[in-house]
Amino acid sequence: MKTALVFAIEEFSVYDGPGIRSTVFLKGCPLLCSWCHNPEGQAFHNEICKNTNGCRGCGACVRAGENGALTENSVAACPAHALRWAASSFTPEELVSQLLKNRDLLTGGVTFSGGEPLSHPEFLQDCLQRLCGHLHRAIQTCGYADSDVFRAVLSHTDYVLYDLKLLEDAAHRHFTGVSNAVILENFRILCQSGVPFVVRTPLIPGVTDTEQNLAAIAALLKENGVDRIELLPYHTAAGGKYASLGRVFQPAFDESVAPNPRLELFKKNGIAAVVL
Amino acid sequence: MTELIQHRLALVEQGAYKHQRRERVDATALVWDKSPLLRDALLLKASLEAETPFLFPNDRIGFTQSRERFAICRDRDGNEIWTDWSCGNNTPDYAYALNNGLDHIQQAVAQKRAHCLPQQKEYYDAVLIALDAVLAFADRCRDDARKAGADDLYRALCRVPHQKPQTFHEALVMMKLLIFTLRANRNIHLTIGRFDQYMYPFYRHDVKAGIPRETLLELLEEFFLSLNVDTDTYMGAQQGDNGQSLVLGGCDKDGNDAFNDLSRLCMEASMELCLIDPKINLRVNKNTPDELYELGTQMTKLGLGFPQYSNDDVVIPGLIALGYAPQDAADYAVAACWEFTIPGKGMEIPNLRVMNFPLAVLEAVTESLLACDTFDELLAAVKEKICVQSDRLMAQAVFPYIPPSPYLSVFVEGCLEKGLDVSQGGAVYKNYGLLSAGISTAADSLAAINNVIYQVGDYDKQTLLDALAANFEGYAPLRNRLLDCPKMGNNDDAVDTIAGELMETFASHVNGKPHPFGGVFRAGTGSAQGYYTTSVDLGATPDGRKAGEMFGCGFSPSLVARVNGPLSCIQSFTKFDLSKIINGGPLTLEIHDTVFRNGEGIAKMAQLVKFFILRGGHQLQLNTINRDVLLDALAHPENHRNLIVRVWGWSGYFNELDAPFQQHIIKRTEFTI
Repeated sequence: MKTALVFAIEEFSVYDGPGIRSTVFLKGCPLLCSWCHNPEGQAFHNEICKNTNGCRGCGACVRAGENGALTENSVAACPAHALRWAASSFTPEELVSQLLKNRDLLTGGVTFSGGEPLSHPEFLQDCLQRLCGHLHRAIQTCGYADSDVFRAVLSHTDYVLYDLKLLEDAAHRHFTGVSNAVILENFRILCQSGVPFVVRTPLIPGVTDTEQNLAAIAALLKENGVDRIELLPYHTAAGGKYASLGRVFQPAFDESVAPNPRLELFKKNGIAAVVL
Repeated sequence: MTELIQHRLALVEQGAYKHQRRERVDATALVWDKSPLLRDALLLKASLEAETPFLFPNDRIGFTQSRERFAICRDRDGNEIWTDWSCGNNTPDYAYALNNGLDHIQQAVAQKRAHCLPQQKEYYDAVLIALDAVLAFADRCRDDARKAGADDLYRALCRVPHQKPQTFHEALVMMKLLIFTLRANRNIHLTIGRFDQYMYPFYRHDVKAGIPRETLLELLEEFFLSLNVDTDTYMGAQQGDNGQSLVLGGCDKDGNDAFNDLSRLCMEASMELCLIDPKINLRVNKNTPDELYELGTQMTKLGLGFPQYSNDDVVIPGLIALGYAPQDAADYAVAACWEFTIPGKGMEIPNLRVMNFPLAVLEAVTESLLACDTFDELLAAVKEKICVQSDRLMAQAVFPYIPPSPYLSVFVEGCLEKGLDVSQGGAVYKNYGLLSAGISTAADSLAAINNVIYQVGDYDKQTLLDALAANFEGYAPLRNRLLDCPKMGNNDDAVDTIAGELMETFASHVNGKPHPFGGVFRAGTGSAQGYYTTSVDLGATPDGRKAGEMFGCGFSPSLVARVNGPLSCIQSFTKFDLSKIINGGPLTLEIHDTVFRNGEGIAKMAQLVKFFILRGGHQLQLNTINRDVLLDALAHPENHRNLIVRVWGWSGYFNELDAPFQQHIIKRTEFTI
């Protein structure tokens, strides 16, 4: 049976689409953005997270593990309850029934995010089909997926939150690890699909908030008749979760600089820019 | 905000009125040989005679203390006797005072005295001494106001409190005088009640007279500011816990919607001032428009920890079932924190003792777990322990000695009529409330035992008992297993139904049982500071909580529970018919401040509150919190002097809280939405 790893179901997410929504975070992402604030969503395998505030450094987890690595036994052995698996495995049926428990309260619906939801196409489509007629369905995607997959998912989706990060391909490769060619191709498909969507751009100081990049995004939107964008300023707390995975957050940009939304660039092109 | 208010706000925040305070007076020589009734009235007289209230520049409200505390009385050994507090935690009948004026009331009392029984005479004498003292004090303040050039205040005091006020300003001055003198009478935690109802005729008078709304707003703000003065001299459990709560909206005695222009003005004033007093309570019901929830959410966004919402559709039938007259139930207000009381009619003691649910679970588990072959047997044993504990609490709840309060009893219906002081049973309603603490810890504990012992069976009973006795030292895997069991707050019937059964047992055993003072007991969901006092000495519990760790605040998820989010939480805590357990006690939700970044977030938050109400939630308090800010405030208190948090039914400045309560709030935010 198809399953996927879910690393969070955020109830009452207020910024992931219309109305009150639950956002499902699927584990695993083809990009490796330098600013990623959900590092537990990057790897496709499950990982053990450590609550670094709770950990007393007693070593019980290492003794219970194997060859110095943490295992299921380590999680059970921690006297501070500071270890947990980053994600839980769900079948589409289990996930949908869990989401429907809040059906009466979800004035909006459900948003699938990640990680990258399009990296779990079968699972995602199964969930979207099961939710059809029950809840409004949105996906939040970086757009990096096979175009046939994207088209297929779109046919079961009511709303898309589409990320445009960097329009220059070299910069995109440098900061996210992949080319943006397929992302731009899928963006054109989205614009022609008739599915309602919103474009979102993370404002990363000195990376995505440059005049060149935001002007290019504004031009692309105008060209495609898109009149609205949501800008998500980088927050310095983003690196907080890396330590819990035993990783070090090393952003390739200066975190201390406040991002610049350059709202005039959008205004000039007749695009309503909302800073979240 | 006008310049006048800005200026006054700065003075209040700087405490630029405390310099003139002198020491309290010792009135022992005047009162020591008097009966308790007369002693109380004479103490009030001595307190007021010693007071020359401070006036701010252009003060229109007045009545800032000139003494650190009010008069005291000592016994032969030099100890203070009954001078810190007296009857309280109820709402006086301000409407009666405002609609009659004190002269009229005094005449009525004098007439009563002329035709009273001999045993009532002393009571009426004491009331008259108190009223004389208050009127003499008001006259002196009037003259002082004239001397100081506070002309508006002078003119108001030419009418009030002798006669009933006509204008909004006169009514505000009279309110402040009543609040001041009742405090001088040591009546703690007297709340302001349904201010938008009893003040509305005076507000209407001014509106009809063509007085601009901004002028009325400025007056109201000046009045609100005056409630933030002298709070440091207040005898609350902690600073901020001073009972100055105000109820807005809801339905009137006949069930009609009562939210009016003045209610709205009060919310505007509170939002402009951003101060902790008065604490706003909103009464809502199934007909409340979305717009009001959004206004309330705008207020929540400011991080003041209020409004607190109360649901008419649940509270009113609940109170009627406890024996309150339907019209009185419809007129309910909220006492100092969240206790439902009837303004001007009660001498209720809504928080007398605390039911410790986890203690009942631990007792049953320790004594009976080995003998219980099924979970149902264990559950029955726990219910038995709840009943035994309820009986014990009710037996302990003998009427505590409360000093007489003839002045307060003027404003409590029934006292003047019966010639009986409020402390002696003069009031209409005299019910006792039992609080409860740790419902989620108790239900989680039972759900964990059910899962681990009875359903899965991966641990045996003796191992669990040993682990509890050892406070889980050496039992990490078992504790982790227990911590991962279903927890209340996640909309999981496996635990929520258990919580419902425990509450049902408690409430049906307690509600309506008579007590010797002439009222009945009523069970509630609130804990006040009981979430701390009942948990510090309690051993480890089967939900994985360690010995001494605090419970969640009142009616809330436990601190060791990882909660999915507010949608699940609301559903968990509204499954039980809460009208059956209506002494009061809100669900507390901590909301991360990023939810309020824009109008969209506010509208969604307002919907969430509405869901809670429509699903039959009885009461809700919301804390707007940023955990990083709290942690920083702990490390650098000097940078966060105005950080306000909701504690257990009241808002306080984070820096002024006792350390365990600071820690509790930080712990609460670990899984903030």
